[in-house]
Amino acid sequence: MVLKNNTLKPFSENILNFESVEKEVTRISGKLKDDILRVLKRKGAVIGISGGIDSSVTLALAVNALGADKVTGIMLPERDSSPESKELALKLANKFGVQTIEENITGALDGFGCYERRDAAVANVFPEYNPKDYKMKIGINHSGLSQFLPPVFSITIINWEGIEKRKILPVKEYLQIVAASNFKQRSRMSMLYYHAERMHYAMIGTPNKHEVEQGFFVKNGDGGADIMPIAHLYKSQVYQLAEYLEIPREIINRTPTSDTYTAEQTQEEFFFQMPYQEMDLIWYGLENEISADEVGRVLNKKAEEIVLIYNNLRRKQKTTEYLRMAAITY
Amino acid sequence: MNNLHQVQEKVRQFIINTSYIPAEQVQNDTLIFAQGIMDSMGFISIIDFIEDSFSISATDNELIEANFESIDAIAQFVSRKIQLANCLST
Repeated sequence: MVLKNNTLKPFSENILNFESVEKEVTRISGKLKDDILRVLKRKGAVIGISGGIDSSVTLALAVNALGADKVTGIMLPERDSSPESKELALKLANKFGVQTIEENITGALDGFGCYERRDAAVANVFPEYNPKDYKMKIGINHSGLSQFLPPVFSITIINWEGIEKRKILPVKEYLQIVAASNFKQRSRMSMLYYHAERMHYAMIGTPNKHEVEQGFFVKNGDGGADIMPIAHLYKSQVYQLAEYLEIPREIINRTPTSDTYTAEQTQEEFFFQMPYQEMDLIWYGLENEISADEVGRVLNKKAEEIVLIYNNLRRKQKTTEYLRMAAITY
Repeated sequence: MNNLHQVQEKVRQFIINTSYIPAEQVQNDTLIFAQGIMDSMGFISIIDFIEDSFSISATDNELIEANFESIDAIAQFVSRKIQLANCLST
């Protein structure tokens, strides 16, 4: 079988395994050092750390590139953040010996009306909703994954007794909830640049390949950075680097969450709709024009299902092009 | 009262108005999602539109290709739901 990249590597469940993780870490670290110091002409790196796998690997790569004394980890919790995020971020910073700064952005978000605007839209859908007694989250309907139809978002509210109610989100409320919630990522970006500029450092972004290419980021929010050193890595490759870089085990074992809404929610539930191990292989198959039959054989799925997932991923890529576009100029 | 043809025309006008696609490029059997005429935001807009225009709420299980892939499919789905609602109310 000939892949698009003209290699003769047969498709298998191990195809995304690095032959040498060390070599990839050395390559990224070398490039990161050169880009920060020589290309951007900055003295160090600022990274927002959330206790998640992506920001942890990015911080470790920056330390590898520049040394711990030239890297600052910034924790940016807000009212809805899980306390676990801060604990793990501190554990990471201690392990790698970097300075940390904590900036609670709840006040800024209150000023923007982030919570109020979001909660007003939720109450339009569920009149009984109030943020004191209920938690909320939005997510993609799972039923949409295996069809030619685009996914739709639903909203779930959970009351104090744990009773859930779910509805399909109308357009107006969907847009308002997303727009209000995006204040979080955009406020974080502003604060990260404040510290980066104050220290004459570069701001290092933390999205992985899936987040960039499927549009799981906020334009001019977490999608805004000077360098994105892991944006070429599939999620399983991020985990390979995490093992090599000896990221704390609790972070490696933590299920990736959106940490955006008041109710707990995994990234799989919110957006990706399938386990990352499967998504990596299917995305690789799509990019390298590997037949649905072959991908299905390796993943023990029907070729028809792979075709539908290919279509779903192509659609996601197409409908999020706007997020990746630079401003149009004339 | 909406018959199938009237529902078809209303859905068709909505899709043409919201997609900015020339009317001659959208037939009643055109696969509006598979051919990229409507995207995910368009899908949610259609769900809202049929709720506002025909008082039809689609359930999760009804969000399938057979009910939404084309103007014909949507019109038939809406007409079935209207008939069902009429039967239940009489």
